[in-house]
Amino acid sequence: EAASLARSGGAGGLAEWVLVELQGEVEPRQSSGLAGSLLGDLHYTREGVPVLIVGHHILYGKVVQLEKPFAVLVKKGAGEPDPTGPRTHYTVTALIKTKLLFKTRPKPIITNVPKKV
Amino acid sequence: SLVIRGEKDERAVLCSKDKTYDMKIADTSNMLLFIPGCKTPEQLNADQASCDIIHSQIAGFSNNYWELRRCRPKLKKLRKLLMEDPYEGPDCQKDPTLTFSKYTTEDLLSLIQASEEEILHQLQVINACKIEGHWRILEFDYEMKLLNHVIQLIDSESWSLSKVPLCTCLEELGSLEPREMIEHILLSYGRRFIDDAGEIYFEMHEDKICRAIAQMLLQNAVKFNLSEFQEVWQQSVPEGMTARLDQLKGLALVDKTSRPETIFLLKVEDLPEDNQERFNSLFSIREKWTEVDITPYIQDLCAEKQTVGALLTKYARSSMQNGVKVYNSRRPIS
Repeated sequence: EAASLARSGGAGGLAEWVLVELQGEVEPRQSSGLAGSLLGDLHYTREGVPVLIVGHHILYGKVVQLEKPFAVLVKKGAGEPDPTGPRTHYTVTALIKTKLLFKTRPKPIITNVPKKV
Repeated sequence: SLVIRGEKDERAVLCSKDKTYDMKIADTSNMLLFIPGCKTPEQLNADQASCDIIHSQIAGFSNNYWELRRCRPKLKKLRKLLMEDPYEGPDCQKDPTLTFSKYTTEDLLSLIQASEEEILHQLQVINACKIEGHWRILEFDYEMKLLNHVIQLIDSESWSLSKVPLCTCLEELGSLEPREMIEHILLSYGRRFIDDAGEIYFEMHEDKICRAIAQMLLQNAVKFNLSEFQEVWQQSVPEGMTARLDQLKGLALVDKTSRPETIFLLKVEDLPEDNQERFNSLFSIREKWTEVDITPYIQDLCAEKQTVGALLTKYARSSMQNGVKVYNSRRPIS
């Protein structure tokens, strides 16, 4: 049994995607499921710190260069068996070299509470 | 491109042209979202256009991924497959109606969990040859028969062992054995070179030949008296070659505790491929091993940059016996 991996065709290099890593799970507000729903807003501060606003929570994260980059694979053609070659084919669609890691506890945004000086 | 190989009962490996990697699924309790076209702060800084909202879609999410770790190619199966039907020579009496499995390079590529280069290299190491498009291993007795023809010819022609002419070998022995087999045995036991006149010669490999002859002698009994064996062995090797015990690493083991000392056949390729199983097997053959004795039987287990010492630390326990460091099993062996 063999499955092969190949770079997806097309001019230029592979697309580069970004990974966003969140602690815990993301649940849809309605029961309609995650597909098509808005997750939230991603901002960067002037210092390059990623900030994610999900619902009424705010998360601060950091940009991490991955030590071991990921390759995103899309499975193709588990259909007709080809006796001369591998039967299943995965295409490398994109590479991920960077992730935005959010591991601090989400803070609820209530009102702007001034800090004591 | 890369290939994932494995049968249903095997663990998947990923192979490049010349390397093999174990594949494992890694779980994380975190959620991983992948976003095409998401920009990093550096990319946004570089793009000094006004801050419009960029609508990005999350392509998907996962909480597991495949991890690769470089591993030893799993080549024990290669020998096992080829031993299903060893080649016994053109005159063999096998029933032609019985179909045996025969393997082409393509067959091996889909059955063996190793990269193409690793497979082709191993085929060379085990002296396999292609006969009618299929890879075959020679049956040992037939291989020895071929080697013997060549050795006898070298002797009768008084050739130097380091300059054996291919042409004359084919002429003189061509009536006894297929020419491809004669050339194959010369390639297996010698180093091919071309002299200034453009003629093909072979420099015969002393260690390989002595080792094969030792195997031939040792396979006929459970064990041998060491000094008797050494005498017979030296007499059996070609004139001009020296038989030495260090040629038998990974093939035979000397028992220094028996009186008289004995030697017996123990082939590393007959032992398990898995690390723990290999050590269990070795410790059930002998309770305590010196590093010198055990090294040839665990050398092939070393991963990239791993030493025999590291393996021993992991899988064995050491102690001193008569001033010598010995290794035994970490757990009781039944």
